Amino acid sequence: MSAAFRLEVRRSRSLILWLAIIALAYGTFLAVFYPVFRDNYKLVDQYLSLFPKELMTAFGMEGSLADPGVFFSTYIGGMLWPILAAIAGIGMATRPSAGDLDRGFLELALSTPLSRVRYMAAAIGGQIVGMAVLAAATVAGIYAAGRIVAAPFDLVGFGLAGAVAWAFGCAIAAVGTLLSVATLNRGLSAGATAGVLIAMYLAAAIARIQPDLAWLGDLSAFRYFQATPIIDEGRFPWGDFSVFGVVAVAAWALSLWTFRRRDLAA
Amino acid sequence: MSMTNVIEAEGLTKWYGSRRGIVEVDFAVAEGEVFGFLGPNGAGKTTTIRLLLGFLRPSAGHAAIFGLDCWAASSTVHTRLAYVSSEPGYLGELTAGEQLDYLGALRGLPRGAWRPMAERLELDPTVHIRKLSHGNRQKIGVVHAFMGDEPLLLMDEPTSGLDPLMQREFLALVAEARAAGRTVFLSSHNLPEVERACDRVGIIREGRLANVSTVGQLLGEHWRSVNLVLEAPPAPGTFDLPNVEVVAITGREVHLMVRGDVNPLLARIASLAVRDVAITTPDIEDIFLRLYSAPATQAPAEATP
Repeated sequence: MSAAFRLEVRRSRSLILWLAIIALAYGTFLAVFYPVFRDNYKLVDQYLSLFPKELMTAFGMEGSLADPGVFFSTYIGGMLWPILAAIAGIGMATRPSAGDLDRGFLELALSTPLSRVRYMAAAIGGQIVGMAVLAAATVAGIYAAGRIVAAPFDLVGFGLAGAVAWAFGCAIAAVGTLLSVATLNRGLSAGATAGVLIAMYLAAAIARIQPDLAWLGDLSAFRYFQATPIIDEGRFPWGDFSVFGVVAVAAWALSLWTFRRRDLAA
Repeated sequence: MSMTNVIEAEGLTKWYGSRRGIVEVDFAVAEGEVFGFLGPNGAGKTTTIRLLLGFLRPSAGHAAIFGLDCWAASSTVHTRLAYVSSEPGYLGELTAGEQLDYLGALRGLPRGAWRPMAERLELDPTVHIRKLSHGNRQKIGVVHAFMGDEPLLLMDEPTSGLDPLMQREFLALVAEARAAGRTVFLSSHNLPEVERACDRVGIIREGRLANVSTVGQLLGEHWRSVNLVLEAPPAPGTFDLPNVEVVAITGREVHLMVRGDVNPLLARIASLAVRDVAITTPDIEDIFLRLYSAPATQAPAEATP
């Protein structure tokens, strides 16, 4: 491991640790309550039917919460993970270029024989590892606590959903990296990445509610992060996974290309 | 490209959109030379250094270090230099030792290579950087620069915040580096420091190089102040001599400025009954201020070592 990569992992450690604790605590809390949903699913479904269908759909709640896939999609895929992935992805993506330029660290590191490409590659490696740790913690929390309360959670299904969640998070980090490298402005790139994510979330919700606007869903990253069939059917969505993979690899590659050529001045 | 020049800048120009960075800067720094680079904030010192480090692409012109293009071959260039930033953004969560180990690792230095220099500069390597004073943070930069043996030291205001004892130690380090044949490019606000440390000085003004000369030339080519107290007021025209400017004559007291050959003036003074005489050479600060008080177009530039 290079010194640059080790330092990048070390600098992300605190952020990832705190987010992982949140993910573990949230997952554990929900899993402990899973038997309540399972044992009283008729009452829960009856209660939820009082809410507008559009609202339930917007939160990805399409089915009974007694179903492990719907349960995961509703509380993790549609709520917790996008928030955690956005915080981690944006934080790790905007720090090594725009953030470190602002604080004066970038020119210290790049005044050594370390090339721009190797510096940014180390940062990208840190993002990949950080996002993997966070996705693993998120899935592990809900799965382990579920096993304790005898929830019928399938490790393979949850693991596959975690892999797609990881790819989704990597895509966020990659786009954040590209915007950060292009603008060299941490606030602007973080805001733009978060704004795009929120817009995509809304687009996915609108697409589900309004059949006329279903095409909007295809433009949203959330359209390609559907955990329910993965968990319930054990079918890995190679197509959706590839979409995230292509976006991540393309954005990172473009980041490297841009970072190598641009002026490094705030 | 001369093999004896470590740094060469030819017509080096940088525009940030319509904002001026530096314009047609020409200079060369010879191997083993200590070159001072003076200028106020915004004059273009940091832009020049960033161009030399390959952080910026020149709008026009060319800069080379050891014959390698600073932009195209920056990583290779960096294997042969050590750099101190004027505002280094060390990582507050690391200790000074950890930070130096990290930067040392990137430079291919063994772990703990910084220890002798840290001891010499009395830097505590175990304290987290966020708890260090500005002066101690600046020491990290000096340790960083001198802990390796790269042939070129590129330093951007390395002594700002250092106490006088440490500034003296820094000058000793620069002298040792020069004795070892290393080349030093020293950007500074600290004029006495440049006067003491440097062989030649470049003065940058509003993005253009106003003057490049040896410290001796810089001092020698400029005006000297001559104050005389005579036994009697001088006759009119007594000091109408080449290279002499009469600043003021108040009774028996005469204030003159002289540049270049002083012998005609000395001969004239010898012919007079003199009660007291004081001739002072300007320090580099006087010269710097004089250059800055003159219009930009009047300042000469001399580029070669």
